[in-house]
Amino acid sequence: MATATIAQPKGRRSTRARGVRIFKWSALSPLILLFLFLMPVFLLQIYFSLHSWTVYLSTWFDAEFVGLELFQEVLTEGRFWRAMGRSLLFAGLSTLGCFISGFILALLMYKPFRGQAFFYILFILPMLTVPVVIAYTADMLLYEKGPINGFLSYFLPGDLSKFTWLANPDIAIFTIILLEVWNWTPFVFIIMLAGLSSLPSEPVEAARILGANRLQIFREIQLPLLRPVIFLALILRFLEAMAEFPKTWGLIQGGPGTATETIPIYLYFTTWVSFDISKGAAMSYVVMVIMIFIVLTAIYVLRREKRAIDALHETSRTEA
Amino acid sequence: MARIELKGLRKVFGRNIEAVKNLDFTIEEGEFVVIVGPSGCGKTTTLRMVAGFEEPTAGEISIDGRLVNDVDPGDRGVGMVFQTHALFPHKTIAENIEFGPRMKKVPPETRKQKVREVADMVRITHLLHKLPVECSGGEAQRAALARTLITDPAAFLLDEPLSSLDAKLRREMRAEIDRLHEELKKTFVYVTHDQEEAMTLADRIVVMRLGVIEQVGTPLEIYNDPVSYFVADFFGSPSMNLISGKVDNSNGAPAFSGFGIEYTLPDAYAGVASGDYTLGVRPEHIVVGSQDAAFTCDIQLVEPLGKDTLLYFEHGAERPTIAVVEASDRFKEGEQLNITFDPARVYLFEPDGKRVR
Amino acid sequence: MNRVMKARLFKIFRYAMLLIWSVIVAFPIFWIVSTSFKPDWEWHAWPPVYWSQEASWANYRAVWGREESPRTSTEAETKTARYESHSANKPWQALWNSLYIAITATALSVAFGAILAYGVSRYRILSEIRMFQLLVLRMIPPIVVAAPLTLYYSAIHLMDTALGLIIVYFITTLPYSVWMTKSFVDEVPVEIEQAAEILGATKWQAIREVIFPLIRSGIVATFLFILILTWSEYLLSLMLSKVDVVTLPVQLAKYEGSDEGRVYGHQAALAVGITLPLMVIGIFIRKHLVRGFTFGMVKR
Repeated sequence: MATATIAQPKGRRSTRARGVRIFKWSALSPLILLFLFLMPVFLLQIYFSLHSWTVYLSTWFDAEFVGLELFQEVLTEGRFWRAMGRSLLFAGLSTLGCFISGFILALLMYKPFRGQAFFYILFILPMLTVPVVIAYTADMLLYEKGPINGFLSYFLPGDLSKFTWLANPDIAIFTIILLEVWNWTPFVFIIMLAGLSSLPSEPVEAARILGANRLQIFREIQLPLLRPVIFLALILRFLEAMAEFPKTWGLIQGGPGTATETIPIYLYFTTWVSFDISKGAAMSYVVMVIMIFIVLTAIYVLRREKRAIDALHETSRTEA
Repeated sequence: MARIELKGLRKVFGRNIEAVKNLDFTIEEGEFVVIVGPSGCGKTTTLRMVAGFEEPTAGEISIDGRLVNDVDPGDRGVGMVFQTHALFPHKTIAENIEFGPRMKKVPPETRKQKVREVADMVRITHLLHKLPVECSGGEAQRAALARTLITDPAAFLLDEPLSSLDAKLRREMRAEIDRLHEELKKTFVYVTHDQEEAMTLADRIVVMRLGVIEQVGTPLEIYNDPVSYFVADFFGSPSMNLISGKVDNSNGAPAFSGFGIEYTLPDAYAGVASGDYTLGVRPEHIVVGSQDAAFTCDIQLVEPLGKDTLLYFEHGAERPTIAVVEASDRFKEGEQLNITFDPARVYLFEPDGKRVR
Repeated sequence: MNRVMKARLFKIFRYAMLLIWSVIVAFPIFWIVSTSFKPDWEWHAWPPVYWSQEASWANYRAVWGREESPRTSTEAETKTARYESHSANKPWQALWNSLYIAITATALSVAFGAILAYGVSRYRILSEIRMFQLLVLRMIPPIVVAAPLTLYYSAIHLMDTALGLIIVYFITTLPYSVWMTKSFVDEVPVEIEQAAEILGATKWQAIREVIFPLIRSGIVATFLFILILTWSEYLLSLMLSKVDVVTLPVQLAKYEGSDEGRVYGHQAALAVGITLPLMVIGIFIRKHLVRGFTFGMVKR
């Protein structure tokens, strides 16, 4: 059997493949158009970061060229790095908090029991609350004469109606972390619940027959199988927390002082309160670079985990 | 009626996974052809190219002389039954069966009439109002058959239609498919990895391996006259005993030796050169308790199958040598026996797998 | 300790934990609902009033009711009227904006997402890496492009328009709608579609007759999920709208600056109005919620 028998005439090939190609480009073209439409945004961003302009100056297009000065200013600014540190602290701690509470709840609930549906519905409610609403609700709850202090005053001595949760710079950041945890624990909860209930039961049963106890089963079987889902929950939570704005802004606008000034707040403040557009643009770039680095790492990890789980679920469909 | 011609057919997936390499083959009108082979041999890809779901990388597919490479699956005049019955889960069995004619804009009254006809043909009239989930595996597969039947295709393509059924149902459905072929006298192309299905159903078997056709022939040809080690090993249950060893033909009388076996080959192999070979004998062609012995061995295991009994002999070869004898209590485990082979039914294979003729 | 004892202890432990968390979750929700029915003297009372003695719909009437704004002194009118017209009496306007913008953006996002998802699932029109790169649209905080986006929008007159917000909402929700609908399309076996095709259906017929009915509930879930996201979006809306297209979350925030101090009752009434539909929707699609962000990591 020789290889070169029938040369395929090139022109006639595959109307079907052509159809797919047409479909592909007509499906993707709006996306490309949209990208082109938004292109000027990025060009403007570059322009502003290299020129010094605030709204108090004259027209933006004859702003003074300052080169990388603004970048230097941002990178050497203590306030910026403190905001970055606060953002990382906020994202890290809130992610951890959401994960611990969400995972524990999922572990308690993934097997059927009486009341499961009720608790499930109740527990996802915080996620379905508009973040700004959470800010105002928190304001009402944590107000000096609010119910939290009222409740605590049953147990604690002294007049709590003067105690403030938000005016104290040392406490405020942890208060908003708690809000974030309240808001997004449901997210981790439903992801972990889905992960746990999708686990095959055979390996767990096999491990039990082989004499493993609950803890060993959890550590040796369930945790490794859940790894992709755990990564997913942590990564998404962390990234979303890095961008958190409505609660922090709605509640305390980064205050008291700069005690809760995270990166999104500082950026917003620079651009919309100080109207220092150019500095905001330069800062945006720095943040974007850092975020892109974080996101790419995240995507790398997610892809690796996805491939692992796809490989696990690869059925006998390899048949050719 | 359809004659399906495959010319120089080739399929490459991705950059270099060659699933089908240069296939030339013609399926005659009304023929029942079974394409058989292990996983990854390219049989399903071939069938899917005929159906039109895979685009050949090179080569031509013609049905009744018409080149169909560019024709959509629905216009090729073929019907297909899938491994996973692929019934539309949101439609009742009747709606499923009705789907084909409806797409072809057949008027409703004619449609209803035809649905009843085909349902009757595969005996699922009582299921028509049910949803696929309410049917058993066998019933669903019957419905899938009916759905294909109603479009009156010139050729039926069946992709492992029975592999998701249990053994008893499988035999039943096998008979059903056989009967349909008898009745309809249409071309059937049936893909399976099960040699038994191939043997029982086929007019002609195409054995594929690693993307090429290894052998084409009637079931008996394939069974009695395998061209290679691979085919010999693939067909038959229990499979052929294959023992590797050496042939010494220095004195004109070729003798095979390996794993304790000393066997003078029949005259047919007089011209064979000395060297490494594999000796093949089907279990039913092993003679036990004879006078002269190719080797002597203890029975390791007696396995009664009802009609027959299998005897296992462990003599160091890759697999134990198996003999089929008529059912009897005569043999005991541990008993020592003389064993030899039916000289007319001894095969010899070269190290590259080719059969010595 | 035997098995029965252990199981019973675990049960008690479980219910105890779940009850504690239930209180944590439910109390703030209870509080805002209860506040929304309180008369103004109960808003700031000490000790706090948990259960209003004089519950009424007054706050809701004040916020959502037909406007009968008290005509006060004419001197302060310019300032007050301006303030009033931009904040206190515009919830219906904001509601309409929110509905219009959220529903349009969501419909676009889901429709387009579904087409892409189908293409990816069946023809891999986007490779796996591109699919992940799509997530960047969602994961980069929108604040980093905020300033130039605002200027650009001003330049091309999209500032303070519904279209402007619809575009950014479309972009930022697209990753979720693609990934979510893809998980539904993936669940429909290819064979089913091929069966339809070989029975003579055109590609379009196969999609309409077979694929769409099978993923319909998934599409609905995706739609509602994206609706939740766009409905509650705050930052972009805050930046890209000024007067005309203020959405509900921004409208709510506008109470903050009010001079009378903290108008908790009104805020609560508005907040309940904004949140209630989301909760109803969320409960309705709770089984599908998880799909939006599992990116194929959870197989079922």
